[in-house]
Amino acid sequence: MVFNSLTFIAFFAIVLGIHSLPLAWNIRKINLLIASYIFYSAWNPPFVILLWISTVVDWYAAQGLVRAQRPVARRAWMLLSVVANLGMLGYFKYGGFLLANFTALLASFGVVYHAPAPDIVLPVGISFYTFATMSYTLDVYLRRALPARNFLDYALFVTFFPHLVAGPIMRPTELVPQFEQPRRASRQQLFFGLALMTIGMFNKVVLADGFLAHVAETVYDTDKIPGALDAWMGTLAFSGQIFCDFAGYSTIAIGVAMCLGFAMPDNFRFPYAAIGFSDFWRRWHITLSSWLRDYLYIPLGGNRHGPRRTYAALMGTMLLGGLWHGANWTFVAWGGLHGIYLSVERWLRKRFAGFRPNAWTLIAFGLITYALVNVTWVFFRAKTFSRAWTMLRGMAGTNAKAVPLLGTESLVVVTAIITGLVITHWLMRNRTLESVLARSPAAVLSCTWAVMAFAIIATQGNGNAFIYFQF
Amino acid sequence: MPSSTSSFESASSDLVVERSASAEARIASRPGLRQTAADRPGQAQPVPERDIPDRRWGAIMFAALVMTLMMLGAWEWRWRSFGVEPSIANSDALWATQRRRIDNGEGDGATVLIGSSRMLFDLQLPVWQKLSGQRPIQLALEGTSPMFALEDLADDPNFKNGRLLVGVAPDLFFSGFAFRGGVLKYTLKQSPSQRVGQWLSMHFVEPFLAFDDPDYALPTVIERQDWWPVRSGMHPRKKVRKLMVVTAPDRASHIWDKLEKDPAYAALAQSIWAQHLAPSPDDPPPRQLQRTIGQQISRAATAVSKLRRRNVQVIFVRTPSTSGYLVAEDKMFPRAKTWDVLLAKTGAPGVHFQDHPELQGLWLPEWSHLAERDAVRFTEALYAIIERDVEHRAPASPVARADAQTSKPE
Repeated sequence: MVFNSLTFIAFFAIVLGIHSLPLAWNIRKINLLIASYIFYSAWNPPFVILLWISTVVDWYAAQGLVRAQRPVARRAWMLLSVVANLGMLGYFKYGGFLLANFTALLASFGVVYHAPAPDIVLPVGISFYTFATMSYTLDVYLRRALPARNFLDYALFVTFFPHLVAGPIMRPTELVPQFEQPRRASRQQLFFGLALMTIGMFNKVVLADGFLAHVAETVYDTDKIPGALDAWMGTLAFSGQIFCDFAGYSTIAIGVAMCLGFAMPDNFRFPYAAIGFSDFWRRWHITLSSWLRDYLYIPLGGNRHGPRRTYAALMGTMLLGGLWHGANWTFVAWGGLHGIYLSVERWLRKRFAGFRPNAWTLIAFGLITYALVNVTWVFFRAKTFSRAWTMLRGMAGTNAKAVPLLGTESLVVVTAIITGLVITHWLMRNRTLESVLARSPAAVLSCTWAVMAFAIIATQGNGNAFIYFQF
Repeated sequence: MPSSTSSFESASSDLVVERSASAEARIASRPGLRQTAADRPGQAQPVPERDIPDRRWGAIMFAALVMTLMMLGAWEWRWRSFGVEPSIANSDALWATQRRRIDNGEGDGATVLIGSSRMLFDLQLPVWQKLSGQRPIQLALEGTSPMFALEDLADDPNFKNGRLLVGVAPDLFFSGFAFRGGVLKYTLKQSPSQRVGQWLSMHFVEPFLAFDDPDYALPTVIERQDWWPVRSGMHPRKKVRKLMVVTAPDRASHIWDKLEKDPAYAALAQSIWAQHLAPSPDDPPPRQLQRTIGQQISRAATAVSKLRRRNVQVIFVRTPSTSGYLVAEDKMFPRAKTWDVLLAKTGAPGVHFQDHPELQGLWLPEWSHLAERDAVRFTEALYAIIERDVEHRAPASPVARADAQTSKPE
């Protein structure tokens, strides 16, 4: 079930009530586990089986890793986990994509092959929970952590509903220890958790779905040719939509966990105030970028084997990171573009190591970073390369026969929201939300909370899925 | 080996150590920040720490709750004073509940209604039930050609030995336009969570809140304000306003009485129709339109043929329209090239409002839908016509009808 639904409100109220009962800690954990399976099966009950497979395989792989003495055996257990998880991911997420590309490849050699339509349904959240379970086995393999002491704690780590379908991608060392001691939220945690849920919901329901989504759809999901204004506004709208959608989800997840007495890590840190792309990736989808860094970039060699290997590892990581987002070459292009940005930035940092920019230069770099990030969003949002090029030509102002696509109201709303968003990110660049809330007058907090809650209800979101569910 | 409760001090690379140190220094110099996984490369991530701002959150939340309720009260009052009353939402989920009735045992011998908004508002289920003893299953959808539903029912063996009334609004039926064409996909993929959400909404939200209507969603209200100047080069069309009220969970509906009582609102609705029906650069060229019409009729003929094999009687109903709407329909979709061909090609009987005096002289406040009282009259008259002229008539052979194609009404 999605967070922004009546079903979730009822579900969460029940879970919260049961979790607050004076029951034994093990019973409360079992309740949370059952609730998490209900949460997941509320989409499509049979797919719970995949979740179980991923859970059980990694549990036994980690146990095998501990028992194994020889490196070959340890590697075999690790590979079992990786192959099982990536195999499931590959089949369900990339099966159709691989088949289509195989068919196209044969066709390029003149071989006509009509593959049967695979008609594979993507299980929601599979990209997230396979990464979470793999991090468990890989941490044990890399001797960073011991396996969980009991299966219940481990199964709850994999399945815990706040992070299950769209992250933050939790590491076992972040969550399993929290299940070892009884936890119940204090009143302060409960109320602040609800405040975070409201903030996240406002981002998702009001800003992303209510005001920005249809602008991006109007510009991207049409055959009409956009001019510079429409192309930029549609892309800026999408930049706001995807941030508000995904950061909104993460904030709700953190709030939900907090209401139950658990802590989850930050997933976003005001990314549109990033200065440079390495800074951007320390602020955007932090749990994914750090996962890719720890389990892909560093094993590929990282920066320890000379510049050539470093750039190759960087590009490989970002290309695969792009593919993780979706089975389409446009996502690979998105990742590749970020890989190029990171590589160029790395080269420039070495070439101009002594350069010390002043404040205005930093702001200019920040704006350039945001503009270039928007260029990458074109490939992320466009369904085809053809549309992506049309959009880029539009953004460059070189589209002939462009027609106006967005009305004044859309232009004004997008300008207001994106300006507000970017300014907020800059103001919050070196702060946390909590540090600002600690200093704000109580009346301002109450009024802001009320306005957000009213806007959420008055917007009447229709339970749109979060964008990252499709990944 | 470290325990699972602690981070492992990894010695992965110089970069890692260097970065960790610089991150710690950076964060130490900025008291508002805390470390994230981005600052701890190549190591086990520790249990996150989340600080709770030291505020009286209970009091803050209580004040916020009171203010939220006050704002919602004002919002509700604003829309009730506009004439809106709480009613059942005409959602995809509601349509899905009715569609499932056919698969859940009610499809044998059922009377099913498909079509567009005219079939939805104009045909009154309680009246039909009173006359026939059977309450129809209402599957008509506003702004949407019924073709997808016709084909879906044609492919559903659970629907047999029944009767299917197909509403024909020419600009939708023959163009194939489907404002809510995604409803079938939604129905097929509806999750258990969405079903529960529908139940909760119907029992705990819709009966109490007038503003819970897509027409009064905050972004829609802001977008529809008159203060926005029209952008140069654009010719925006206003979106169709609220026209209907659903009165029962089985989608029994009628026109919103504001259209009958408020001439300004009815005039607004008419002006929107006029705008939508006016020629536009986006209109397809005549040849393409004619091809589309032919395709729609051909699809209908195939579906009717399948339904006939399962002993389902299909009856097309051209529901009333008037004034500017009727003029535009006759111009773009002349009867001789659409309705008459449809009946000829499908071999199905049809009831055209212009052929029956008892279906004329009705009040359509905004040119396209009947006033509530006249919808009752229309339903009674339509039922009588079907019983008298259509019910016991043997279906004509589609081939014979096609051969004898004529521009004359049946």
